[in-house]
Amino acid sequence: MPVTTAKVLFFGRLKELVGVSEDVFELRDGTAIEQIFAHYAARCPQLAAFRSSVVASRNREFACWETPVHSGDEVAFLPPVSGG
Amino acid sequence: MKKMSEANDQRKALHDPNDHKDRVELTRSRIVAESYVDHVRTAADGAIVTFDGCVRNHSHGRRTLHLEYEAYEPMALEKMREISMQLHEKFAIDRVAMVHRLGRLEIGETSVFIAVSAAHRAPAFEACRWAIDTLKRTVPIWKKEFFEDGAVWAEGELPPPPGAAPSAKSAS
Repeated sequence: MPVTTAKVLFFGRLKELVGVSEDVFELRDGTAIEQIFAHYAARCPQLAAFRSSVVASRNREFACWETPVHSGDEVAFLPPVSGG
Repeated sequence: MKKMSEANDQRKALHDPNDHKDRVELTRSRIVAESYVDHVRTAADGAIVTFDGCVRNHSHGRRTLHLEYEAYEPMALEKMREISMQLHEKFAIDRVAMVHRLGRLEIGETSVFIAVSAAHRAPAFEACRWAIDTLKRTVPIWKKEFFEDGAVWAEGELPPPPGAAPSAKSAS
């Protein structure tokens, strides 16, 4: 499996917990969004605590946790939205 | 996922917001409501319904000093455009204007403004209500509330799971 990269974005309180708004993540093509989250959650236990209220997106569409990520994809982890 | 995005592409092609002359924006400047009302006003309309969401001076019993909004901007715009397209599918309306402000907002300022025009008032009322309720549940925008003793991210709403049709059951 070739190693490639994807862009990972954090917003709201997740951004503050992780300490960055944007990161480049090295992955094997087809890695699930869940595994990317687990990578950051391992480094930041507070992030892990938010898992059940986090929604993910891939390329600006809401995506389920099993969604495979490919080279150049943009993955974002979104806390509950509070616009309006 | 692929099938879903193809369906989305098709829907976008069939209901290009430009066809409806809708206006959907994010801004860091003060929202001038009149300009959005004027945008939806045409000779064919008998009603314009607007929603003006503004910054309240209290939250959960605490005095709010100011707010800050941030967004996943490209996705937020896409989601807002989807809402305007769905409004045309669901309601007999003419035009939609929808804007959300980002950055620091003071008490009393407008954070979100929606205007919907229609030949008759009933669909304009219903569409405007559906638009703000759906925006609050599905558009990736976040509000941080600043109080005298610190700041917190507002308790938000979980967007519907992927593939589910957006609904607007709960509103806060």
